[in-house]
Amino acid sequence: MKTAVYWGCVIPTVQYAYEMSVREVMPRLGVELVDLENASCCGPQVQSVNMTAAVYLATRNIAIAEKMGFTDLLAVCNGCHLSLFEASYHLSHDEKLCEEINTLLNEEELHYSGKIKIWHTIDFLHDMIGEDTIKKAVVHPLNGFKLVVHYGCHILRPSSIGTVDDPENPQKLDRLIEWLGATSIKYPEKLDCCGAMLMLSHPDAAFTFAGLKLKAIQDLGADALIDSCPSCQNMFDMRQKSAAATTGAKLNVPVIYYTQLLGLAMGIPQEKLGLNLNRSPIDEFLQKALVH
Amino acid sequence: MTITDQMTSKKPDANLRLRVLGKIGEHKPYNCYQCIKCTSGCPSMKMLELKPHEIVALAKAGFIDELVSSGIIWTCATCLKCKERCPQAVAPVDLIIALRNLAVEKEAKVPESFLQALSMILECGYVSRPQATITRKLEKIDREKLGLPKFREPDERFKATFMKALEKTSRGESVQ
Repeated sequence: MKTAVYWGCVIPTVQYAYEMSVREVMPRLGVELVDLENASCCGPQVQSVNMTAAVYLATRNIAIAEKMGFTDLLAVCNGCHLSLFEASYHLSHDEKLCEEINTLLNEEELHYSGKIKIWHTIDFLHDMIGEDTIKKAVVHPLNGFKLVVHYGCHILRPSSIGTVDDPENPQKLDRLIEWLGATSIKYPEKLDCCGAMLMLSHPDAAFTFAGLKLKAIQDLGADALIDSCPSCQNMFDMRQKSAAATTGAKLNVPVIYYTQLLGLAMGIPQEKLGLNLNRSPIDEFLQKALVH
Repeated sequence: MTITDQMTSKKPDANLRLRVLGKIGEHKPYNCYQCIKCTSGCPSMKMLELKPHEIVALAKAGFIDELVSSGIIWTCATCLKCKERCPQAVAPVDLIIALRNLAVEKEAKVPESFLQALSMILECGYVSRPQATITRKLEKIDREKLGLPKFREPDERFKATFMKALEKTSRGESVQ
């Protein structure tokens, strides 16, 4: 199948490993990804400044996918997924707003009609590609690995607009891990926020959010933390040292994108999955995974 | 007779309240009965003393100016738990975002990073341009070396339209 893919801001400008691993695993699972032409930011930061402009930004990217003739749009970033989902919700419940946004979109010969289904990596892999295809693609099962998952707030809430998984007891990422042979450990901090959105106004508090969650995960003795959001990965992986310094904890938690983990299990070479870009200490994990 | 804030002697402002409530959708704060479920699950409560139920109560009472000029509205991490869990379908986070929009309009205290993000979008269509990064072995690397396709910024017509979108007042206000 063919689907449009929207990368947002954080992935193509900082979180290259996510983009690389998604581009590697999807075609091998039978999915042809087509980048949106002339795409732009989806506006999460703009929401705080001017909501109308933020809804315009998000809708613009959906309208581009419509113009390119797609019925499905994969928004791999949690923040983007929420922006696009929320914008669609607002437009379907507010005719006047929909008209206003379409007038703006018309300047670029774009139009929003609301026909596109928006996916995130997790529900796309879980619901669209499914257990059989993923299990068949695994050549190096991760049997014996104990992992913890972090979903990220913006694909779980608010359930009133429809979300990727259950807002209080999400299971899809846990199952995706189990399909690779690994075990997902239950833990009380599973739904805790990474703090990324506070980086704009209160970085110290943001690092404390991330540090406390990482400390809790470290105490579980898990092999790695698996996530699927570039902003959460920024906090847990790239800035793990700052999180440790802010909370005074010694942190050594390997943090890996689910698509990187999937790629490893599918036998894709490490460098193609951007596994040299994770800043957290993942080398031991990789050794164990490859010996396996 | 109206209430008076005894710290500042200020009275509630009904017009401003209408403006803020006009910016949010169906999740109006009228139904809040102060059960404090939002605050008890709020991660910013632990770290930054954000109390969503107080924000809802103040907005209901009409103390909008006080909220708009307070730094407290910028302590929300937008984890959305308050919106998810409210038994009365109130969305404290939506109210906080509406108050932030009003703070921008009134040129009150606004953290610089939000406005910087906005100027970056006007400049290149995204909140940042691709950055060179390093591998775990400290080798400098970029999109090209990683074999990723060239990053493309949207064309000029986008910027002109985004400017127009920014001139519009916030969602709902034109509707109310």
